[in-house]
Amino acid sequence: MSWSAVAKKDFTDALRSRAIWAISVVFILLSVVIAYVYGSFSADQLGTEEVTAEGLVFFLASNITLFVSITALVIAYKSIAGERESGSLKILLSLPHTRRDVLLGKVLGRGAVLAIPVVVALAIGAVVGSAMLGEVAAQALLALLVVSLVFTFAYVSVIVGLSAITGSTTRASMLTIGFFVLFEFLWGIVSIGIVWASNGFSLPQSTAAYPDWIFVVNQVPPSGAYTTFLYALVPGASGNAADIDAFYATPWLGAVVLLFWLVVPAALGYWRFSKADL
Amino acid sequence: MAAIDVSGVTKQFGGVTALQNLDLTVEDGEVFGFLGPNGAGKSTTIDILLDHVRPTAGSARVFGMDAQDQSVSIRERTGVLPEGYGPLGQMTGRTHVEFALEAKGAGGDPDALLERVGITGAADRRAVDYSKGMKQRLMLAMALAGDPELLILDEPTTGLDPNGARTMRKIVQEEADRGATVFFSSHILEQVEAVCDRVGILNQGHLAAVDTIDGLREAAGATGQVRVTMDAVPDGLIETIEGLDGVNSVSITDGTLVAGCENPAKGAVVHHCYEAGTVEDVETSEASLEDLFVSYTGGGA
Repeated sequence: MSWSAVAKKDFTDALRSRAIWAISVVFILLSVVIAYVYGSFSADQLGTEEVTAEGLVFFLASNITLFVSITALVIAYKSIAGERESGSLKILLSLPHTRRDVLLGKVLGRGAVLAIPVVVALAIGAVVGSAMLGEVAAQALLALLVVSLVFTFAYVSVIVGLSAITGSTTRASMLTIGFFVLFEFLWGIVSIGIVWASNGFSLPQSTAAYPDWIFVVNQVPPSGAYTTFLYALVPGASGNAADIDAFYATPWLGAVVLLFWLVVPAALGYWRFSKADL
Repeated sequence: MAAIDVSGVTKQFGGVTALQNLDLTVEDGEVFGFLGPNGAGKSTTIDILLDHVRPTAGSARVFGMDAQDQSVSIRERTGVLPEGYGPLGQMTGRTHVEFALEAKGAGGDPDALLERVGITGAADRRAVDYSKGMKQRLMLAMALAGDPELLILDEPTTGLDPNGARTMRKIVQEEADRGATVFFSSHILEQVEAVCDRVGILNQGHLAAVDTIDGLREAAGATGQVRVTMDAVPDGLIETIEGLDGVNSVSITDGTLVAGCENPAKGAVVHHCYEAGTVEDVETSEASLEDLFVSYTGGGA
């Protein structure tokens, strides 16, 4: 259980960082504001179909994706590369820890650091929103908590995995920012580009005529998968998977994709890290 | 059984050869001084023993176990003070030692270890705020955690004041008396001279000499130096002296001719200088271990 010792050390080290506390406070306040706004206005004012306790869940979720992705990047991009560059890793690896312990410990330690503000923000947002709406969607809120935690650890795992690929913080920052930009900003364009290329380099007349499998492509970004996974667990929510008639068109695809992000980049990072000279 | 057995290890980083076919054996229970100038490959050798770096060719064994395949088992029984270890964590000095004890699966009192290295007063302060010397002492305390069978100390006196260096030597001696093997790298001869049973001199990635301190002293004692100061050093004198039997090197600095030679050749060197010009001063000296070290490592200074 050597990884747990590394995780614990990493966790306690990170908790002393003032920057993390500052970002967390902003995020928690934002969640309260979002919950308050959702509870204060009518459906017409908010541009949604109706104001429900389940709707609150998706409103809170939108805040989570932005916060978790940016904060994961900030707190984890140097987690392995930075320690290799500075030589701190020599301290850990002079003790009887394996490189796998180090990588796993970093994912769990930093994931736990990020999980704290996520849980606090959800709890406060849920209390404020539910109190104003006068109803509690317990199952939906529980689903939001579970999916958000999976998303948090998946994102941290991606960033730590990318950080393990290289021994230079400059390259680690390019890799992780590149990941963020590609999957969180540009993916819509990439998705359209894939449709365009597969359709003989022209776009179909309307989005309705897009091929069904583009649904899968659109779930690739972690934050897209997060929202889709949420649809699978929130009662009465269907998302756009219901519009397509194919075996893969299920919101559970979101869970599969999150699992992919949780495991694959970290495994890739480990593969490179395990062979590297420190 | 040999505590450390390095055989035929070559390590290349890109196109640069850090180690060239290195063979090295450190016996169980001995204090081995690993000497060499900066960049000779000392840290690379240690990195290979700890599996931080993989050899290009050859193999390294510690306690008879393969350094790559059984690295964790090796590190469970080894205390390491690495070189260039980067910033420590946000935790206190005591927590750092506790972390090392936990990793080793060892009991033991962190405060006793901190007292041994002389930083009891700073136990509750964050290690990042420690001075360089205190960090080095803390790292030594972490290396000592769990009474390891082997201590690998890479340039352990870096950043230590004379008091700290003395504490370090005392602890090395105590650990050796306890029966631990100590592998101690340094670029400063005096430090290994005081505590080591045997010394290996590493230069440009290969072992230039391995001997006991006494053996090295004997080898050094057989040679010496003559320094002849002249008002002017005539042309051709250097060549004449270089040609003498028993003279190994000749150089001139500020009008002083310096000949490194075997002791019986000293008279002939002085004699030739008198014949060639006006001699103002003559000094002769026995070579020190320092000179020997310099001669093995080709230090131009």
